[in-house]
Amino acid sequence: MTARAWLRLVIVGGRISYRALFNWTSPLMYIPTLLVSPLLGTLFFAYLGRYAGGRDDTFYVLGNGLLAVAGPCVFGGMMALANERRYQTLGAVLGTPAPRGAILVGRAVPYVGNGLFTAVVVTTLAALMLRVSIRIADVPGLLLAALAAAASCTAFGLALGAIGMRVRDVWVISNTVWVSLWLVSGANVARSALPDWLEVVGGLLPISHGIDAARAIAGGSPAAGLIAREVALGAAWAAIATLLFRTFERSGRRHAALDRG
Amino acid sequence: MEPAIEVDGLVRSYSATHGMVRRRRSTVEAVRGVSFQVARGELFGLLGPNGAGKTTTIKILTTLLLPTAGTARVCGLDVVADTRAVRTRIGYVFGGDRGLYDRLSGLDNLRYFAELYAVDPRGLRARIDEVLDLVGLGGREGDRVEGYSRGMRQRLHVARGLLHRPEVLFLDEPSIGVDAVAARELRAVVAHLVEDGTTVLLTTHYMFEADQLCDRIAVIARGSIVAEGTPAQLKDQVADDRVVEVQVFGIGEAEVARVRAITGVTSVIVEDHEQAQALIVHCERSLDVSAEVVAALDGVRVGSIATREPTLEDAYISLVTAAEDG
Repeated sequence: MTARAWLRLVIVGGRISYRALFNWTSPLMYIPTLLVSPLLGTLFFAYLGRYAGGRDDTFYVLGNGLLAVAGPCVFGGMMALANERRYQTLGAVLGTPAPRGAILVGRAVPYVGNGLFTAVVVTTLAALMLRVSIRIADVPGLLLAALAAAASCTAFGLALGAIGMRVRDVWVISNTVWVSLWLVSGANVARSALPDWLEVVGGLLPISHGIDAARAIAGGSPAAGLIAREVALGAAWAAIATLLFRTFERSGRRHAALDRG
Repeated sequence: MEPAIEVDGLVRSYSATHGMVRRRRSTVEAVRGVSFQVARGELFGLLGPNGAGKTTTIKILTTLLLPTAGTARVCGLDVVADTRAVRTRIGYVFGGDRGLYDRLSGLDNLRYFAELYAVDPRGLRARIDEVLDLVGLGGREGDRVEGYSRGMRQRLHVARGLLHRPEVLFLDEPSIGVDAVAARELRAVVAHLVEDGTTVLLTTHYMFEADQLCDRIAVIARGSIVAEGTPAQLKDQVADDRVVEVQVFGIGEAEVARVRAITGVTSVIVEDHEQAQALIVHCERSLDVSAEVVAALDGVRVGSIATREPTLEDAYISLVTAAEDG
């Protein structure tokens, strides 16, 4: 395959597969699920923080604004692979000579963009409603932190989706992970306040370093190291997703599991 | 010239575990030493009852399944070692209405697979229009697949299989569930492809379809090939037979046994046709057993009775029954 065909598979193929496999593309699903729910979550924790004498609103707005990437990225990344099982298209896709790297990158790109968009909308609306001011100078850094969080979260979702190529009920895992991110990502409870083992778990899951980076940027501290850590974590999850994908593809050929519904 | 498909001693077994506490492992041999060759440009039929090993064989040839033993080559390439190269040269169509992206239009389904097969983008739309016209879906390509009938889905499967101009096309029961008109059009498409030089391996349950289309046929039963030849050669295997077909209503085992016991009867098959059954009696060509058959059916309501020449279906049933009884 030529470099041009590889790129087309990433860009054109990725866009088509997003429309084919992401369950929440219609505005009726997209707006309530990916925008309104995390916005209400942000308001809930901010007012709870005010009531209980917790952190200031900025803490919750930045934490939950970045946590909003979890919806499109964890679930989306998972749907990007696991829904092939639902439509029984996995055999048809894997029976093509297409390079698997291009398929995976193409599947990831729309969800990363979607996650970034969600984070921007939720953070902006929450900041306006709670009168939290964000310095214009901080916006590029915050966007970079959100992009890193969206990328690592999508890689994590793809890893779950690869498991979904083999395991029918992978949605149970993603639901549990999504809820656990409210706690261990540091979005609503500082990770330093968690027990050691939960802090470690949070550090291994996506978003947490991105949230730390966003708060560091807003606080005027250097954040490059934290963003780099989120990117590295995303790269590790991408490697795991690729490994799982290739492993399940091979075992699917051995065990006749590629076209199971 | 090198054959398009070479299969030699192909074996595929599946193992399964049973039981929650005491796990037991069982092995089923789906394909047991299958060997055949298909020449370039040939239309080769693989016929067999459900579970005979047809789909397993096709899945191995299309690289979706690894064989347990034996070798298979497509266009001279090993399906296990040269997987990617094989995939660029083949297309395949599996029967049924799944395997498409329901929420996309037919056009977008084809566009996506065109990207996966790296079809040249400059001629992509023209190629898509060409395959849509070929399968008779022109004008409906913008509709979402979730609104397609089963026949339309099947046509879209065929269009997808042809997009990248494969040298070898595998069609696994392509006309299953398709209405008579669509099935006839599908047969015309397949015949047209073969005229253009595409090699086709076809599995079907419809004997007239195999008889009409195939250059050669292999009959597979219980994982092994039990006969191979042209449709005429297979029919010759039962050429010494005469077939008496009787429409009966409510025939029992005792009556079938009485018919089977008639001198000169070589085989008896009962097919259910809604409220009636068809009793198909093969006998030696020199004998006319019609009167004895009717006598043996004493007490059973008999409809029409006819004597005819054996067909490919008769040959097929005879071969499969012999294999399964053996």
